[in-house]
Amino acid sequence: MGKIEELQQIRRTIEQGGGADKVKKQHESGKKTARERLDMLFDTGSFVEIDAFVKHRCSEFNMGKVNAPGEGVVTGYGTVDGRLVYAYAQDFTVIGGSLGEMHAAKICKVMDMAAKMGAPIIGINDSGGARIQEGLDALKGFGDIFLRNTHCSGVIPQISIILGPCAGGAVYSPAICDFIFMVDKTSQMFITGPSVVKSVTGEDVTFEELGGAATHATKSGVAGKAFASEEECFAQVKTLLSYLPSNNLETPPAYSCGDDLNRLSENLSEIVPEDVNKGYNMLDVIKEVVDGGEFFEMFDKYAKNIITGFARMNGSTIGIIANQPKFMAGSLDCDSSDKGARFVRFCDSFNIPLVTFTDVPGYLPGVTQEHSGIIRHGAKLLYAFSEATVPKINVIVRKAYGGAYIAMNSKHLGADMVFAWPTAEIAVMGPSGAANIIFKKDIKNSDDPVKTRQEKITEYTDKFANPYVAASRGYVDDVIEPDSTRPRIISALEMLASKRETRPAKKHGNIPL
Amino acid sequence: MRKFNITVNGTSYEVEVEEVGGAAAPAQKSAAPAPKPAAPAPAPAAKPAAAPVAGAATIEAPMPGTIVGIKVKAGDTVSEGDVLCVLEAMKMENEIMAPRAGKVAAVCVNQGAAVNTGDALISLS
Repeated sequence: MGKIEELQQIRRTIEQGGGADKVKKQHESGKKTARERLDMLFDTGSFVEIDAFVKHRCSEFNMGKVNAPGEGVVTGYGTVDGRLVYAYAQDFTVIGGSLGEMHAAKICKVMDMAAKMGAPIIGINDSGGARIQEGLDALKGFGDIFLRNTHCSGVIPQISIILGPCAGGAVYSPAICDFIFMVDKTSQMFITGPSVVKSVTGEDVTFEELGGAATHATKSGVAGKAFASEEECFAQVKTLLSYLPSNNLETPPAYSCGDDLNRLSENLSEIVPEDVNKGYNMLDVIKEVVDGGEFFEMFDKYAKNIITGFARMNGSTIGIIANQPKFMAGSLDCDSSDKGARFVRFCDSFNIPLVTFTDVPGYLPGVTQEHSGIIRHGAKLLYAFSEATVPKINVIVRKAYGGAYIAMNSKHLGADMVFAWPTAEIAVMGPSGAANIIFKKDIKNSDDPVKTRQEKITEYTDKFANPYVAASRGYVDDVIEPDSTRPRIISALEMLASKRETRPAKKHGNIPL
Repeated sequence: MRKFNITVNGTSYEVEVEEVGGAAAPAQKSAAPAPKPAAPAPAPAAKPAAAPVAGAATIEAPMPGTIVGIKVKAGDTVSEGDVLCVLEAMKMENEIMAPRAGKVAAVCVNQGAAVNTGDALISLS
C-alpha cells in the first residue's frame, strides 16, 4: 500500500469514530454523531479538522490495547455565516466520549487558537465524564479546560451545547462559558446522577427531572435555552452568533436595516393599562420597538420576571433587559437579579449597548428572599449596571420605585440616556405605601381613616407618581411619547456610538457573587 | 401579617392573620362603629380548599400574596397560558397561568387566602 493510500485509510478509520455499530446505537438513542453535529453548525464544507491523529498514552487497565479514534473528540474550525468559529465535539461512540489527558489536550489546543485569533468557541458536550482509567491525568485535563474557559471569559464568546450526558466535573466547563444550550430528552447535566442522589439523600429522581433540559432552563437557570431537537438547537446557536462580535475588541456585526428608523408605533400608546394594578406583556413593547420585531430572548423560561435578550436597532446589536409586569409583578428577586446582572456583564464584555425597559415595583419582600440573600443577589444588578461602560439607555415605561428604580439602569448608575413615558411613576415607593407612612398621623387622627387614607394616596399620586419630578432634577433626560420610542432610542444609540468611558485601573472588581 | 396560635379540640393551629385594606387600627377615640377589622380566619379554615392531588402537577405561588380571583374549578380543562387564578402581590394582580394544557384536578386555595411562596394553588393533571 502506498503512503498516500495509507494516509487515506487511517483518516477514513478515524472519521468512522467508534464504528458502525456504535454509530447506529447513537442514532437509535435519537442523537447525532459528533461529525454530523459539526456539519449542522458550520457552513457547508467549511469545517477543517485538526489533531485527528492524536492518541491517548494510557497503558493501565488494559487501556494500551484500546483504540480510540480521534481520542473521542473532534476539534477544528470553520465558518458560520462566513465568520470564523472554533469548535470541538465530543464523540460518544468512542469510549463514551470520556475525557482523558489527550482528549483534553485537543480541546485546549483549539481553545488556545480561538483565543489567539479572537473567534468564538463552541463546545459540543456528549461524554460519560472523566476517563477513570487515566486517573489524575484526566482530572488535570478538566483543570486545563476550566483555566482556559476562565481566561477566555469576556475575550471571546464561549457557548456550550449539551447533547448527551455531562456529569461531574464536566459540567463546570459549560458553567464557566457564556451560554449553555440544551435539547429535551437528549441533554443531562448534574454533579451526581440519580443513583448517587438516592444513596446520599434518599431522594428518588429521574435523569430528566434532576438535570434535563427543562429543569435547567426553568428551575436552575443553568441553561440559557432548551430546544426540542438538535437541528433547532444548532439553528438557534447560529442566530445567537449573528448578534455577537467575534471578540471583545470588535463591535457586533451590523446588518442593513429593513425597518424604518423613524417608525412610530401607535400600539405603544395603548399598551400600558390605565389601572396600575394590571399587568401587560413587556415583550409586546420590546417587539414593537426593535428592528422587524425580532427579539432573541435568552433564559426565556427562567426568572421570567426579568427579560433578557438580543435584538437589533438600526441593524446593530443591542442587549435588552426589561422587567416583565406579567410575571411576579416584574419584581426583582434573587433569581431575576442574578439573571439580569450576568446578562449585563456579558453585553458589557462584548461591546453590546444596553437598552432597558423599566416597570419595576421593587425588590421582592419576604423571609424566603431575605434568607436566600436578596441583598447579595440584588447588589449584583446594581454592580453590573454601574460597572458597564457600553452605551446605556433606559426607558421607564411605568413603575420605577425605590432601590429597584436605582438598580434598573438609572441615571445614578451612569445611564447615558433615560427616557420616561408619561405613564412613568418614578418615586421612592408606591403611593399607598408612601401615604401610609407620610400621612400616618393624619390618617390615624381622622374621623374617617379609610377616606383620609384614600385622599392622601391620591394626593401623593398626583404629586409624585409621574415622570416630571425625576425630569425636573434631570434624572430623566426626556419624557417622550410612547409611539416615538423607536426613533428616540435609535437616535440615542447613534449619538452614543463614540462613547468612551474609563474606570480606575484595577485588577478586577469584586462583584458580590 | 400577625401570627396566632389557636387550639381547637386540643390540636394547635398556627394561624396567620392579615389585615385587609390596610385601614389603620380603629382609633380609640372613634365613637362611630370602627371599620370592621379583618375577621381572624377560623382555625379550620386555615386548611386549604383541597389538598394537592398526588400524581398531578402542582402550580405553586411564585411569591407571597393574596388570592383575589379563582378562574377555574376542579374538572375544568385548560390550555397552556390560560389564567388559573389571580394573585395580588407587589400591588399587582398577577395572573397565574397554566404552564401546560391539562385538567384541573383540584383547586387548593380559597378566594381571599393569603399564600406564601411555594404554596400549592392548583393541581393540574
